[in-house]
Amino acid sequence: MTLTEREQELLRRIQAARSAGTPVPSAGVEFDLEAAYRVQASGETGRVLRGYKLGLLSEAKQRQMGITEPIYGRLYADMLLPSAASLRRFLQPRVEPELAVVLRRDVPPGSPPGRVAAAFAGFFLALDVLDSVWQDYRFTATEVVADNASGGAFALGGALLPEAELPGQLRLFVNGALRSEGPTGALGDLGVRLAWLADRVGGLRAGQVVLLGSPAAAVPAEAGVVEVWAGAHTLALRLEA
Amino acid sequence: MPEQPLDPDRLAAQLEEALCSRRPLPPLSEAGLVDVAEAYAVQQRWHSLRVRSGERTAGRKIGLTSTAMQAQLGVSEPDYGVLWASRHVPQAGGRAEVAFEVFLPPRVEGEVAFLLGRPLRGPHVSVQDVLAATEAVTCGIEIIDSRIADWRIKITDTIADNASFGGFVLGPWSARARHEDLRLVGMVLSHNGQPATEGVGAAALGHPARAVAWLANKLAEFGEGLEEGDVVFSGSLGRAVPVQAGDLVTLEMAGFPPLSLRFT
Repeated sequence: MTLTEREQELLRRIQAARSAGTPVPSAGVEFDLEAAYRVQASGETGRVLRGYKLGLLSEAKQRQMGITEPIYGRLYADMLLPSAASLRRFLQPRVEPELAVVLRRDVPPGSPPGRVAAAFAGFFLALDVLDSVWQDYRFTATEVVADNASGGAFALGGALLPEAELPGQLRLFVNGALRSEGPTGALGDLGVRLAWLADRVGGLRAGQVVLLGSPAAAVPAEAGVVEVWAGAHTLALRLEA
Repeated sequence: MPEQPLDPDRLAAQLEEALCSRRPLPPLSEAGLVDVAEAYAVQQRWHSLRVRSGERTAGRKIGLTSTAMQAQLGVSEPDYGVLWASRHVPQAGGRAEVAFEVFLPPRVEGEVAFLLGRPLRGPHVSVQDVLAATEAVTCGIEIIDSRIADWRIKITDTIADNASFGGFVLGPWSARARHEDLRLVGMVLSHNGQPATEGVGAAALGHPARAVAWLANKLAEFGEGLEEGDVVFSGSLGRAVPVQAGDLVTLEMAGFPPLSLRFT
């Protein structure tokens, strides 16, 4: 895939910030989202795609960014964290409690939402570690999409939950203190969400994982233990300075 | 010391002879089999030899999943072998019987078994991939057996010897059990009516599905993978219990009906 000059420039800016380990201020770049997704996709070279993540689910946030649909980013194998991780790999990490869905069957583009929902193998508790290159998370829609929807890393729980047992509330604790919570109902109709994603990415594959977006506010990551609690389930991740 | 190169085909033939005649071999490690990759090559040759004489593959088994067993053999990762279909001991109503004389002195283990609904190919297979690809889960009794005399095994001995595989009994498959937190599934394995060893899912590499993920990633090193329909025994949750002719072992695992095996 060849990028135009301005797309390449945006890509270089993101990659330079990432490799320097220092956030950069937004340059106010705005071009159409298709181009931004082309920049995002060019980050795929040499990495193993494991799925996708959804972001900007709330219509209020979308309006604020001047868009009319959620955004998505890519999940790569190197982003899946074991039970502990170093904060040093991130620039300005923030954490969010989420759910992830995993697929048991392929979902071709154009699949109706009911058929998409029938392809769900189940759900995992998830922790999304955001890591925007844009200073203080101030960015345009183009910039955040090009920067892989702020995707930094993620962790997943070890129990495959059936849809009928999805918890109603996700809560995030950092070093023992409740820092953020939100209702899973805010994630929307999951069949519709994934059908939309399958259309946008040319189909989803069996085994792929999709982080469904956070119903709770993102919280700056700090050294210690981050916990996601939901119903009768929990997931903990140790973050080291 | 003889510096003769080891012939994997010859060692495979010796293992087959020991299996059929029930006359155990001295440790292969003492005869110079000290390389893990060579030991897997012997296992592979032995398996091919058996397949040529009609054996079929039912799936795979993972061994040495507990840190205690790894420490005992001085290794830092599990090992694996093939489940031979000819050694699938059928059960009816949770009760199974097998002739003791089939084995050299065997031991039994209680494990979580997976039935795969989709292939799993490494090298990036995670716990979650395993759960997503799993059709159903059950409890299983694995009979382990050693073609090496008196279980005097080093890591290369057990690997070459098909990870000390002896046979297996499977409980009823449960699609629902895919949704259990398998780390927390407890088990008691009783020997002649007395509890002999207890365990919990997390004893197998922290999560039974992590053991399966390890296997899928390990197989990728050899250009192989796990297939749809494979049964995978994910590693013992407690210690291995030695048994004698006439003994009864009973596996009770949370969420599953009991499973018993009598050695006749």
